[in-house]
Amino acid sequence: MKKTSAEEVVLEIKDKSELMVDLAYSSLLYNNKTIAEEVYDLENLIDDLYENLQRDTLEAVSKQQLTSDSALTIIKLAKAGEEIADAAMEIVDVQLRDVELHPIIRMSLKESDEVLSRVFVKKNSILSGKTLGELKLGSEIGMTIIAMRHKNRWLYGPNKKTLVESEDILFAKGPADAEKHLQDLADGKTMEI
Amino acid sequence: MGKEKHRHRIIGKLQRTPLWKKEEFSEIEYEPTPVKELLTEMKDISELIIDLAYSAVLLHNQEIAEEVRYLEVRMDKLNYDIRIMAMMAARSKEDAEQLAGILQIAQAAEKISNTAGDIILLMKENTEPVLPRILAKADERIYRLKVTEKSSGCNQTIGSLNIESETGMRIIAIRREDYWIYNPQSKSSLIANDIVIARGTDEGYKQLDEFFLGKKEDIK
Repeated sequence: MKKTSAEEVVLEIKDKSELMVDLAYSSLLYNNKTIAEEVYDLENLIDDLYENLQRDTLEAVSKQQLTSDSALTIIKLAKAGEEIADAAMEIVDVQLRDVELHPIIRMSLKESDEVLSRVFVKKNSILSGKTLGELKLGSEIGMTIIAMRHKNRWLYGPNKKTLVESEDILFAKGPADAEKHLQDLADGKTMEI
Repeated sequence: MGKEKHRHRIIGKLQRTPLWKKEEFSEIEYEPTPVKELLTEMKDISELIIDLAYSAVLLHNQEIAEEVRYLEVRMDKLNYDIRIMAMMAARSKEDAEQLAGILQIAQAAEKISNTAGDIILLMKENTEPVLPRILAKADERIYRLKVTEKSSGCNQTIGSLNIESETGMRIIAIRREDYWIYNPQSKSSLIANDIVIARGTDEGYKQLDEFFLGKKEDIK
């Protein structure tokens, strides 16, 4: 384990576990086994992080670097994240089984408050050639990019420095009224974010 | 004097039977709701409830915690209803296999809501200053904003303002006078002096805060 503080590890568990739930629902909506398998891998990662965190936190308490109150808070927060990650894995289990998904699953995911969408970035799209930090899709149109596919490579939980290029496929989460805006941007139909 | 008055108000509130307790003791009645609607509601609750739980702990707010408990109990009922509906819908082994998948997703959503119940238990612990410090560094954070009289957003609906698609801030609750509106929908209006609890990025927060303060006429 890298030498990172327990607080950073908890934060990683929290952010990753929430991303996993979004990815899990996306995998169902788009019948995508690659995303589902990524959720499995992330779950293993979180299990490892959580195991190490418990030990490191206890050691920090015994060395009096951490108060028992702080340690308890850190461990409980991490446990919550670990449980959410478990739930995400149970969701993708349904996708990875050799049973066709019940059509109701997709229908109810589409009717949800927060929708998941998938767009293909065309050559003339304004999104192409810019980083997510420059595009600020989250604060400008309310859509958060949770995963993307660049050529044959997948990227999960991209950050501000991630570059969007033409022919990328973006998986995003946000309010239903923003879905069309993202689609138009990716299609090159609108140049205004 | 002021402190005594405050204490009196809290005791008055605690004596009222909490909503979640009422829900828990109410007899489970079978309501034929379509599986699709049940699953949609369960997914929506599972996404809202975690944010509400963190808000309750961060803001030390018992009322938000009570809403989390209520939603947790509501989730149990939805999970029960969806099982009955699924069983009644199965006509063959193939049906049963597909419906088992739906029940597994419902179960996962319930598990998430149980986790939210665990998160609010942190309120009993001394979580300062670790918890606020950790949450302050998260990708998306929970913010508290006030709608001032000067804002052109007053008396407008959340939907007409397109708050989420303009700023990326998702409103999870509104405090108005002495009551709460949880998970407000696009038809809900904003009124001067509303306290808004929202989740989003720092940039989105600044943008929405300026709009609510009336510093900007337009939300964009």
